Amino acid sequence: MTLLQTDNTMTRHDTLLSVRNLRVSFRLDKHTLFDALKGISFEVAREQTVALVGESGSGKSVSSLAVMGLLPKDNASVSPDSEILFAGCDLLRLDPAAMRQMRGREISMIFQDPMTSLNPLFSVGSQIAEVLRLHKGMNRSEASRRAIALLDEVGISDPGQRATSYPHQLSGGQQQRVMIAMAIACEPKLLIADEPTTALDVTIQKQIIELVANLRRKHGMAMLWISHDLAVVGEIADRVVVMRSGEVRENGSTQDIFENPQDAYTRALLLCHPPLDARPRRLAVIDDYVDGTGPSAENRINVQRGSSPNDTPLLEVTGLCKNFEFREGLFGKRVLRAVKDVSFTLHRGKTLGLVGESGSGKSTVGLTIMRLHQATAGEIRFEGKNLLAMSPREQMPFKRRIQIIFQNPYASLNPRFTVGDILMEPMRIHRIGANDAEREKLSLTLLDRVGMPALTFRKYPHEFSGGQRQRIAIARALSMQPDIVICDESVSALDVSVQAQVLNLLQDLQDEFKMSYLFISHDLAVVKYISDRVMVMNQGEVVEVADSDEIYRSPQHPYTQNLLHSIPRGWQHPQ
Amino acid sequence: MTAFILRRLWQMLPTLLGVILLTFFLFNFVGGDPAYLLAGKISSPEQIANIRTQLGIDQPVYVQLWIFIKQVMSADFGVSWSTNEQVSQIIATRIGPSLTVLVPILIIETVLSVALALGVAYVRGSLTDRSIMIVCTIAMSVSLLVYIIVGQYALAYKLGWFPVQGWGESFSENLLRFSALPILLGVAVGIAPNTRLYRTFFLDEINQDYVRTARAKGLSENTVMLKHVLRNALIPIITNLMIYLPGLLIGHFLIERFFSIPGIGREVILAVERSDFPVIKAITIYVAIATMFANLLADVLYKLVDPRVQLK
Amino acid sequence: MTNPATYHPSPGLWVLAWRRLIADRIAVISMIVVAAFLLLTAGSMSGLIAANWNDEVAIGYAKPGFVAEPKVASRNTAAQVGPVVAAENPPGRVIDPLATELAELRASLGQKVGSGGTAPAAGVPPVGLDLGDIKVIDPIAKEFADALAEAQAEGRKERVDTLPFGADKWGHDVILKTIKGSETSILVGLAAALVATVIGTLLGAIAGYYGGWIDDFFNWFYNIFTAIPYLLLILAIAAVLNQKGVTTIVLILGLTGWTGIFRLVRAEYLKHRSREYVQAADAIGASNFRRMFVHIFPNVSHVSLVQLSVHAVGFIKSEVILSFLGFGVPVDKVSWGSMLGEAQNELILGYWWQLAAATLAMAVLVTAFSMFTDALRDALDPKIK
Repeated sequence: MTLLQTDNTMTRHDTLLSVRNLRVSFRLDKHTLFDALKGISFEVAREQTVALVGESGSGKSVSSLAVMGLLPKDNASVSPDSEILFAGCDLLRLDPAAMRQMRGREISMIFQDPMTSLNPLFSVGSQIAEVLRLHKGMNRSEASRRAIALLDEVGISDPGQRATSYPHQLSGGQQQRVMIAMAIACEPKLLIADEPTTALDVTIQKQIIELVANLRRKHGMAMLWISHDLAVVGEIADRVVVMRSGEVRENGSTQDIFENPQDAYTRALLLCHPPLDARPRRLAVIDDYVDGTGPSAENRINVQRGSSPNDTPLLEVTGLCKNFEFREGLFGKRVLRAVKDVSFTLHRGKTLGLVGESGSGKSTVGLTIMRLHQATAGEIRFEGKNLLAMSPREQMPFKRRIQIIFQNPYASLNPRFTVGDILMEPMRIHRIGANDAEREKLSLTLLDRVGMPALTFRKYPHEFSGGQRQRIAIARALSMQPDIVICDESVSALDVSVQAQVLNLLQDLQDEFKMSYLFISHDLAVVKYISDRVMVMNQGEVVEVADSDEIYRSPQHPYTQNLLHSIPRGWQHPQ
Repeated sequence: MTAFILRRLWQMLPTLLGVILLTFFLFNFVGGDPAYLLAGKISSPEQIANIRTQLGIDQPVYVQLWIFIKQVMSADFGVSWSTNEQVSQIIATRIGPSLTVLVPILIIETVLSVALALGVAYVRGSLTDRSIMIVCTIAMSVSLLVYIIVGQYALAYKLGWFPVQGWGESFSENLLRFSALPILLGVAVGIAPNTRLYRTFFLDEINQDYVRTARAKGLSENTVMLKHVLRNALIPIITNLMIYLPGLLIGHFLIERFFSIPGIGREVILAVERSDFPVIKAITIYVAIATMFANLLADVLYKLVDPRVQLK
Repeated sequence: MTNPATYHPSPGLWVLAWRRLIADRIAVISMIVVAAFLLLTAGSMSGLIAANWNDEVAIGYAKPGFVAEPKVASRNTAAQVGPVVAAENPPGRVIDPLATELAELRASLGQKVGSGGTAPAAGVPPVGLDLGDIKVIDPIAKEFADALAEAQAEGRKERVDTLPFGADKWGHDVILKTIKGSETSILVGLAAALVATVIGTLLGAIAGYYGGWIDDFFNWFYNIFTAIPYLLLILAIAAVLNQKGVTTIVLILGLTGWTGIFRLVRAEYLKHRSREYVQAADAIGASNFRRMFVHIFPNVSHVSLVQLSVHAVGFIKSEVILSFLGFGVPVDKVSWGSMLGEAQNELILGYWWQLAAATLAMAVLVTAFSMFTDALRDALDPKIK
């Protein structure tokens, strides 16, 4: 229990929003209907925070759009026996004009990506004022005075000045604050927040969560919070609705959901995400729970990680710098120093975690090691030889030995190649295997190793899910038998249950092939779980390096401390 | 802003040089020896040599190029080969009639197609939308020649609502009497393609997240379309307009030809028919310069409409 | 290697796009129309159809219609006698194209040889006779005889005075003329579009992929070509080339029309070269050439394909205008543009059918082609992936 949550004893439990048997289907083409919601029901009481939690495709965002009446008109249809009662009135049966009176005044919404959700051509002050003039009947000057007050309330410094700014002049966190100011402008009874912190860095996420929770209490609003992240939900919600594939799997108080989950899927979700205080040999996956009672005892054993004096250095990076130049003015140019004097050593068979927020330069480090970006200065020694001083021809044999797995599994596989082509191309280039028949055999072995059936070989990437594609990308990296694999946010785009599977796979492969990983991620829990050592970067500089348990136990640098402090901890049992 | 404009002017120089080189290359090498063209079919070697000296094409290439650059710089392209009129004089007197027809076409066509496009974007996917789009596609498939030939025949020749052709001295007579039918036909030709294009601009905007936010505020569909969507879609519309503006100067040459309007477009056709190289060269260079300035103007307008654009 | 039982060939993106395309009714109809036009073009090129478009099968400006009116029928009879007694026919109804030449030839020959001084207005003298006389003296006799024979054959043809779509000034069948015109217009459009697409795609690929000074150079080139309005550039080139022909016009349109494709393809390459799949290809050691053409090209080729289609339509329209102005195809070729050029004057006289035929043919083809292009764009839309 955190301060953000409502004290149950003080809440009047009369229902504000009641969703009953909501069925929504989308017409994909002439012959296909997709049932996004298969008859879900849940309730939100006044001044209560209810969280809808689920992975992609669970239907949680569709639910929120249905409440707002913002489902796309041309291809979405709501079943006639569905009901959405808001303060006793069925929103599905309101005429459009009455529904518009509800939106923005009684129910308002904030969205995932504040950058695209604000109109780029209007000042943020006028966008807030617009809703006041519409619903409160204020004139121009009243509305703009009130908008400034609202900006002040959501914690924007110098609100008078900021009200005249355009969205692109604000940071992501500030933009989300503007969206919040717009949403609370008319003191709605219900605030819907659709993944409002997913696009933000972890430190900003913490600020936004606290802001929203305080505003909710201050204005006596109820809140419907949509998220994929149980840890965030555990901090803010009073009740949790767990959804999967358009159905409600479990609905209960946050305490019940976290301490005594009834549904196998809920249990799996809770344990899939790497915990901060333990390191089981394998992470739990959904199948463990759906089939049986949970992961086997031997997989729950905690493993020790960290560096030891016997480690052999494999890759030594010293004084690495990377500048990006932009043309500016008549002859001038602006230099962005993305990576500033970064040095580290990667040991054989070990994992070095690299964490940082957006703009920290962590991905640039990975790409520069791959020579996908040209370094501005510094040395990268691989088995003692400086990769940066090599010609492309000299580098060829080393290229094979350092491989990379990217973040977006949808973009990293060439959509015009079959999986077989994707796996055999690197072998052809590096002359692995005597002929194509042999290479095909090797590919099938690799596919089997990453848990994909042999049929995969002749298929195209678009037939696979994100997790499966990431397995194929891993198989491609493995096809060159690399010594080092750079994982650049490799599990960040995946749902938490799939993420656990891929992390387990990466761990198994490291144990088997003794590869070194440079594991780049913004997710501190994942990095802590998989790494031996962790390096924290901020604004292009390394601020702290230590063994992973050490850095989480006693962070030294204030930036690291702040970062760790911002990690959502989930539900904490009331003391 | 000033720095931006200076930089853009600086960047124009290589392009201008390129245009000069291209024109020079085209008229001095691709087309063969201009002296033969000018002298006609039957002429003695002495006559040819004489003309070559007059034109300066017996000089080395770099001297000829320098002469040409000097012509561009001093805006003096000599005299027309066919009428002996000063080329600069020809151009100066042809601009007015062209603009008299062009500017009204541009304004009416843009207003009408923006309105129509906004309307069909509003009812996107409906039968109305699809029917109008099909009508536009068919309308675009008929050659603009046919619009002009049939329009002139039916409205002027047969029905006598407009003068068949002609041009006078007074501006108001030219605009209201002689330009009326050319303007009408110009608009008729341009409205279908523009409506189609602007509709895609509107549809691109309608699918943006900020439109969803506007709806979530409780704004009516009219406000969403007229305030949020229209303003954003104006950016590509303006860019598009500015870039095609100088092209239109030439683009309506058919109208000028059919209605005997003494404009730039008709002059180009006449010059091409007569192989009147100085006139073609001059118009090419001037219109290229106009295009470059129109692009600069587009960028400046862009900045005024879109706060995101940084003019460095 | 692969077990046949487990072998499931899976559809690639092209196959999926094709399936989307043929699921679209409008796309299928427009494809059929375009294919019909292409078949006509192929047939006309190979001489299977419309090879005889140049025959003067009807009276000048024969009206469109299927059933001959009685009044016309009598004239028809006259027309049948016409060639034999050409001079008796009212002028303008049946014109023997060689009549005057024949007379002059005969007159001049008569002076030289001194036999048969009068030009036979009625009836043609036996060819063998003349031939025998002249052969010894005049070497043009053979051609003269051939011309006579031809004139005879020509003259004996029946000249109808209605045709389904009417006839032009010389009595050419407008339908055949339109088919022949389609051949020129479609060929020019497709060939020029192909030239423009190849140039635009190649330059765009190089500029977008390499960036840096290479990109700067090609952009400079692009800026030059776009600074001069497209039509002006075409007209300027037409002015200097001063030689007409299908190849010339294809080159003019193709060499000036690549800029739009260049811009789009360059933008695609810029976008794709930093995509993760291309970086992954770099990471596995694929060469620049391989990344450019084996990896990126198949992913941007749909842009080129759609542009090929868009430009074919545009160039067909441009060819019509150029030929109309007389800067296009040579006079001995017929195209929709040259038909419109003739029709412009005919319309004033009330002869609307040639205008209608060329307009209709072009409108049907271009509408179908445009709708096909739209459907193609939708089917290839990478957003659906």
